[in-house]
Amino acid sequence: MSERELLAQDIKGALKRGLFGLSPIAESLVAAALGLIIGAIIMALSGFDPIVAYAALLKGGFASTYALATSAARATPLLLTGLTFAICVRAGMFNIGAEGQMYMGALAAVTLSYFVLPPGLYQIVGILFAMTAGALWSLIPALLRVFRGVSEVISTIMFNWISHFLAFYLIAKILVDPARSSQTVRVPVAARFPILIPRTDLSYALFAALAFAILIYVLLWHTPTGYEIRAAGLNPRAAKYGGIKSKRTMIMSFLLGGMSAGLAGAAMAMGTPPSYAVFAGLSQIANLGFNGMAVAMVGRNHPIGMIASALLFGGLAAGAREMQISAGVPVEMVGVVQGVIVIALAVPELLRIFRIFRKRWPRLFGRRAEV
Amino acid sequence: MSWSSLINILFIALHAMVPITLTAVGEIVGETAGLFNIGLEGMLLLSAFMGVIGAEHAGPIVGLLVGAGTGALVGLVFSIISTYWKGNQMITGIGINLFAAGAVAYSFVVLGRPGYRLLDAADRLPAIRTPSGGLSPIIFVAILVPFLVYWFLKRTRAGLILKAAGEAPEAADVAGINVNRMRLLATTFGGLLAGLAGAYMSISWVGSVTKGLSAGRGFISLAIVVFSGLNPILALVGGFIYGIFQSLAIWIKNTPGITFLPWQVFDMLPYIVTLLVVAGVIGRVRFPKALGTPYKRE
Amino acid sequence: MVQVDQTPRAVGTSELFLAAHGISKTYSDGTEALKRVDLEIHHGEIIGLLGENGAGKTTLTKILSGLLPPTEGRVESPRGSVRFASPREATDFGIGMVHQHFALVGPFTAAENVALSHERPFTRIRLAKSLERLKALMEESGLHVPLDVPIEKLAVGEQQRVEILKVLSRDVDLLILDEPTSVLTPLEVDNLFELLHKLRGQGKSIILITHKLKEVQSITDRIVVLRHGELVGNVRTSEATTEHLARLMVGEALEQAADAVELRDDALPVRRDEVLDDIEKEIVLHVEKLVSRGNTGEIAVDGVSFDVHAGEIFGIAGVEGNGQSELVECLTGLRVPTQGKATIVGTDILGRDPREIYRLGVAHIPEDRWEVGLVLPFTLAENAILGIHRWEQFRGPLRTIRWGAVQQHVRALMKRFEIRATGPSAPAKSLSGGNQQKLIVGRELAKDPAVIVASQPTRGLDVASAKYIRDLLVDMRNRGRAVLLVSADLDEVLARSDRVAIMYEGRFMTVCRPAELDRETVGMLMGGVTSGAKEVCDE
Repeated sequence: MSERELLAQDIKGALKRGLFGLSPIAESLVAAALGLIIGAIIMALSGFDPIVAYAALLKGGFASTYALATSAARATPLLLTGLTFAICVRAGMFNIGAEGQMYMGALAAVTLSYFVLPPGLYQIVGILFAMTAGALWSLIPALLRVFRGVSEVISTIMFNWISHFLAFYLIAKILVDPARSSQTVRVPVAARFPILIPRTDLSYALFAALAFAILIYVLLWHTPTGYEIRAAGLNPRAAKYGGIKSKRTMIMSFLLGGMSAGLAGAAMAMGTPPSYAVFAGLSQIANLGFNGMAVAMVGRNHPIGMIASALLFGGLAAGAREMQISAGVPVEMVGVVQGVIVIALAVPELLRIFRIFRKRWPRLFGRRAEV
Repeated sequence: MSWSSLINILFIALHAMVPITLTAVGEIVGETAGLFNIGLEGMLLLSAFMGVIGAEHAGPIVGLLVGAGTGALVGLVFSIISTYWKGNQMITGIGINLFAAGAVAYSFVVLGRPGYRLLDAADRLPAIRTPSGGLSPIIFVAILVPFLVYWFLKRTRAGLILKAAGEAPEAADVAGINVNRMRLLATTFGGLLAGLAGAYMSISWVGSVTKGLSAGRGFISLAIVVFSGLNPILALVGGFIYGIFQSLAIWIKNTPGITFLPWQVFDMLPYIVTLLVVAGVIGRVRFPKALGTPYKRE
Repeated sequence: MVQVDQTPRAVGTSELFLAAHGISKTYSDGTEALKRVDLEIHHGEIIGLLGENGAGKTTLTKILSGLLPPTEGRVESPRGSVRFASPREATDFGIGMVHQHFALVGPFTAAENVALSHERPFTRIRLAKSLERLKALMEESGLHVPLDVPIEKLAVGEQQRVEILKVLSRDVDLLILDEPTSVLTPLEVDNLFELLHKLRGQGKSIILITHKLKEVQSITDRIVVLRHGELVGNVRTSEATTEHLARLMVGEALEQAADAVELRDDALPVRRDEVLDDIEKEIVLHVEKLVSRGNTGEIAVDGVSFDVHAGEIFGIAGVEGNGQSELVECLTGLRVPTQGKATIVGTDILGRDPREIYRLGVAHIPEDRWEVGLVLPFTLAENAILGIHRWEQFRGPLRTIRWGAVQQHVRALMKRFEIRATGPSAPAKSLSGGNQQKLIVGRELAKDPAVIVASQPTRGLDVASAKYIRDLLVDMRNRGRAVLLVSADLDEVLARSDRVAIMYEGRFMTVCRPAELDRETVGMLMGGVTSGAKEVCDE
């Protein structure tokens, strides 16, 4: 074949694949739509008006600068905890431990208040503390999996609960603020992330999260280490044949995941006005780890997709408050929608089922029966 | 330690054993057939909640039935997605957990007070009175069921079929077994047991349902399944061991005079022990070859 | 080779058992596996179903045995039309299939596996009664297996016997066997064919799927040939010639058919190249008393020693499962042996990492291209650097991968090795088997290796791709590389090797030049029989 013919074939192939490549995006959209539809049904059954509710949701999430800023602020930790899950999925593992790793990161960040450092260094040191704490918390389940074959699903969940109580203890006894016993010491002013948009809680933590996401993208798709992680995640035997050590890739992915969750903790501790501390009961940071998994799945475990997906879920969280105020729908509805979206994403070729429904019950979709 | 303290610890242990054992035995049946359900946590929570609703309307027995039915329904949905729709079992399970957390929290608000729902004493399952304290009748169910299931798996042909479906679905298919239907039945039954476990927690044991009622018990059950090597009798043993540790933790927390360790450590204890148990046992157990993968005929 | 009795039966005079009309099958991804195939099956006849990989043989029999529904067409018996919704319905009707990859449950014993296809669900297993029946069946058929051992611990030949017993225990009228001889030694094949003759004498029908010309001519009454899903031949065995069959199978120009024909084995083909006499040639790969365990913990390689010289193809022949896989894994860094020594030009290779071994100039074409050779969801480009992804030529700034260089590399491979795909970014799973293998071979050869380890390199490939790859290996040999060729395809190994070892149960029975061996001796050695064989050479 001539060079020209090869090139033409290449372009045709890329176009075809491009269209196919959109299919994961379409699947995520269908899943999101399904979640919203089922949410609407439940709301209607509970006596609420779904249209009013979703209108409020949109308004609260995206309709003003304040709304957008709040959505972005909510999205920041979700992006990072989502990355935890996504990186490990790419490596062939299920890391459910972002929650606990994030707690440790947040607590590590507040310990900054015990140190005196040159002013410019606080933030970097804080991030480092947090990432290290998250990575360490993630390391043991990784080692248990690699050297003892313990399911990382079970071990990371156990570690979540252990860190839950450990955090309670640290907050109540060790890191407690002498002035207010219901929270930890506060992050020193010099370490706090500057607020990006005044009178919102969107801080520079957003940039840290975005930078980390892009870093992970480059790592996974443009470095030999990332190549090894992905290969071992897709086919461990072929990876071994290619000279890749799965033990290394598994541990590395867990370390990176832990770092990401730790960074999420730092973002919360160092970037959340007005308290810049961690509350007893972990109220501001609870469930961010679990919700990150939904973000990862909707974003197809790809950093770039996850940026969009994090914004979606951040918008849902931000808009939920408005939904409660304007339409009376409890904020917990967001959790329901989330759950449905994830279940919908579990089904491969969701689109195909969608099409089968269209064929069987065309009247439901307002069209004539197809031949 | 006095004799009565020991009895006390034993009684609490028996109560704590029930949800773990029942859920684990149910999951054993499901995993034998080849489906791995990590959504047990969500199942427990949903059925605990629905059980309370049922008990409020028509008494504890109905509540237990409603709870079991909820579990069976969730199990059915899970198995349909995992078999006929070839869904990814891990993700479906995670989705069930997220959905349950959201739905129950939502329902608290919509149906009453946010965060919890209390059950009247009249609607709770009456305990069997013994000289040393009360015992829930479900405890005896939880002791009996493992033996029944063990007999079922080992001695009936249905048990053989389930194992074939989980181990080598192609061979089972050729032998004329409807693999997907078997998996459906197995996981629905597993859901039934988990549903009973959840309803037991809210109706018989604790008397209320909160967002955090399951407290990781779904995952601890999974760990016990690993420990048991898919043997229901060992799941009973494992559940009891877990019960003892949880009971000890409660006892130590409530006994004045033990102050050398903060109470949070004892709360951590069940989870640490679970971890150690799994770490120690792994490698010596064997799982069905087709566990976690959907079966397709082509 | 025992000449099996071929009493030709007058086809057409015996009753019709089943007739398939116009069977077509299109899979959900669009592949047309079968196009309007007609087939008549009579009582008491053995039909050979011949065709290359991908011709549709397995699809047709899966339809007959109830595993798949046809897209079009119908199946009729003298009692009326039949349609099977499940394998069980087919078995109840009287059709049983012995699969190529056995449909057995590993941890179950032979008795439990047979019991699985009987009785109804919620009853207690009446194991004692089925054991009785099974023992009687074993006597009658001459197939003996241990009944209380989990079948995953049995040898492959024994497992096949269980599979056959399972089918026979259902009292079938039509027995379909899918490539049954690929895992058997020549002696076991003879036993199997004796059994088939016996069954035919009882009036049963048999369909034998195979791609081996010689085999199909030795046992069948009638041969049906499929090519690309179409029926292209239906001849009486006694009237068919090997050339004719090969041509029907392959369908291409006479040259290709002649090549396929060349691989006959009643006389070993004349080597076109000169036989190497020069033993002074440099030893590239040296293996000494290699011992290794297999996955089940038993000894798989039992003290193997040999050398491969530059410019030589050293073949290892033998039925799969005699330690070849483990031997290759030890030499390519995928398994750690328990004892022994192996060097490449003096450097130790045992226990090393695959990447280190590649750096020493070794290329490995693995026997399992899907599970080991490729990462299927990856693109061609990503697969092309598997194993060499850290090499300098692909390194970009800041230790990233320079994908531009990779793309160039892949395009060069695609051109040189005629790999047909839509582009370097096509996912590897979209390629045909032949192109996938060419990608792997191209990737490995592009490393400019000194040693090439090729394990079952043409398994499952169409004739054109197989020939291409064989020629490549010969070309490498001619350029002075050392080639280790492991293959269960006896014709391939004997035709292409300069020296060949026959492996049985982890040991080399002999190491010879192919010209010094005759088919009968090879057959016996492959089956582990040494006594009575003619004096064999040894180096």
